[in-house]
Amino acid sequence: MSAIECRNLRKDYVRGEEVIQTLQDVDIDIEAGSFVALMGPSGSGKTTLLNLLAGIDRPTGGTIEIGGQDIGDLNRNGLAAWRSTHVGYIFQLYNLVPVLTAYENVELPLLLHRITAAERHERVADALSLVGLADRHEHYPRQLSGGQEQRVAIARAIVTRPTLILADEPTGDLDRASAANVMDLLVRLNREFGQTIVMVTHDPSTAARAGRTVHLDKGKIVDEPEHAHGHAHDHGEHRK
Amino acid sequence: MNALLRSVPITWKNLSRRTLRTVLTVAGIAVATFLFSFVESMRDGVRRATEAGAAETRLVVYRKNRFCPFTSKLPQSYERTIRDVPGVKSAVPVKIVVNNCRASLDVVTFRGVPDEGFMEDHLQGASLRSGSLADWKSRSDAVIVGSALADRRRLRAGDRFDAAGVRTLVAGIFDSDDAQDQNVAYAHLGFLQETAERGGTGGIVTQFNVEVTDPSKLEDVAAAIDERLAHDQFPTTTRPESAFVARAARDVIALVSFAGIVGWASLAAVFALIANAIALAVRDRVRDHAILQTLGWTGMDIAWMVVLEAGMLGAAGGAIGAVAAYAAIGFAKLNFTMEGVSIGVTSSASVTAIGILLATALGAVAGLAPAWTASRREIVQGFRTA
Repeated sequence: MSAIECRNLRKDYVRGEEVIQTLQDVDIDIEAGSFVALMGPSGSGKTTLLNLLAGIDRPTGGTIEIGGQDIGDLNRNGLAAWRSTHVGYIFQLYNLVPVLTAYENVELPLLLHRITAAERHERVADALSLVGLADRHEHYPRQLSGGQEQRVAIARAIVTRPTLILADEPTGDLDRASAANVMDLLVRLNREFGQTIVMVTHDPSTAARAGRTVHLDKGKIVDEPEHAHGHAHDHGEHRK
Repeated sequence: MNALLRSVPITWKNLSRRTLRTVLTVAGIAVATFLFSFVESMRDGVRRATEAGAAETRLVVYRKNRFCPFTSKLPQSYERTIRDVPGVKSAVPVKIVVNNCRASLDVVTFRGVPDEGFMEDHLQGASLRSGSLADWKSRSDAVIVGSALADRRRLRAGDRFDAAGVRTLVAGIFDSDDAQDQNVAYAHLGFLQETAERGGTGGIVTQFNVEVTDPSKLEDVAAAIDERLAHDQFPTTTRPESAFVARAARDVIALVSFAGIVGWASLAAVFALIANAIALAVRDRVRDHAILQTLGWTGMDIAWMVVLEAGMLGAAGGAIGAVAAYAAIGFAKLNFTMEGVSIGVTSSASVTAIGILLATALGAVAGLAPAWTASRREIVQGFRTA
């Protein structure tokens, strides 16, 4: 069953009198529980596609159906509510709120959910523990390394137990060891918790950890190789 | 309401963890609110001293076309004539001696009053802080001093007190809510007449304080008194006490009215200060707001955060400034005195509350435009801008 169905997806940007077609009639199906890497040169439309899937940008044309919901039907507030429940987003530059501690950053999405303070605390503690930062609750982003910041961002993305995790070059700003750590974590989330992950990357070795790679060029999907399944590859060499 | 409630913790952290910015902004707002509250307290004192109440029963009979205690001279014998006017309940001859006829914050006013009756009645609405009425009665040079004057001159019961060429002994100190009493030393009428005029002018007083039986006939009684004395050697002008104070203190009232502009200008400063601080904060937090919206926070949540932060800054600065003004005024016990009448600058809970509420409301209003901008910005645009 497809978790994500995009049909005739288009996104244009207008700059002065020039119309830039960032995505052109993209059709893509992504199965529930799969791990998909989006690859392509700069300006190929990877991040734009990711933003459209996250509902933080609106398409110029076409439809996006996620978990049976056409997100084009949702208004601003509806889309925000849908995002808070169904999407976890991981940024390349972590994007933690600087005045909040690691714990408070992870807690942010849960403040929108009707759960008790005790349950909230338990979920935040579990998420931070899962990413190996159980001892960093009270640390501010400036007191963490890049790898640790990205792990906090991952904890924040998974704390609401979303069905879809979207990651925009999650290892792009990390050293090799930290990048391998983050990828191990994403693979684990996909394999153990069955979360659907769509990840943008420039790095072929990072993309190889995903179960499926989709190539984009000039706003179109090109030469997508077939995979037997969409689940992550557990490549030992990437753990170094 | 949910949007407001869930915005509170993040707003609080934004304020409490950006200490320097918060402290500087709050300090600016506090100074402006202090100024506003101080000016409003002066205006409040003027209002209370000059606005006639429905229950006003007191008239002041003064020499016609005279406005200073040095020049208003009336025969004490007018007391009987005034008492005979229909509607007059009582008439008290008062001799006033001041050390300074100009407007000042340190004027000493002696009021010479009759030995019997007046002080007993007068002290009923006041409390004697120290000394006794018996001590006052037992010595001709004794005075009972209002608390503001006593505090300013550091007087205690038993002290010698010398001002305006009048040497007295402090027999008691009393507290009163009436600004006219706080700044006055009550002396024996006969003593003050002789001492102040170096003898030979006994029987001359400055004014008569008249109580009427029916407050609704205040103006009629005043007109009747002036009519009765119109063809005498010393014609009079009789006014309700509030109107008398307003006439005597007109220069100060004009200055205080002008100061009102300063008060409102300081509120404009509060508005500008908060608007500037919030506009800068919103610009600095474009990325944070985009992050929050990516996580599912709505534009309304962001707007509440901005308005709440502006309101909290206003409330904090307003509270500090208004309470500081309340304390400073209470401590300083300021009175403007001119031509023998006093206008008190007194701490008032209502002025303090108004200062806090206005600063809070102005803060919230100052946050509206930045809040609208922040709430309408598209997420992707926010990340690009950041």
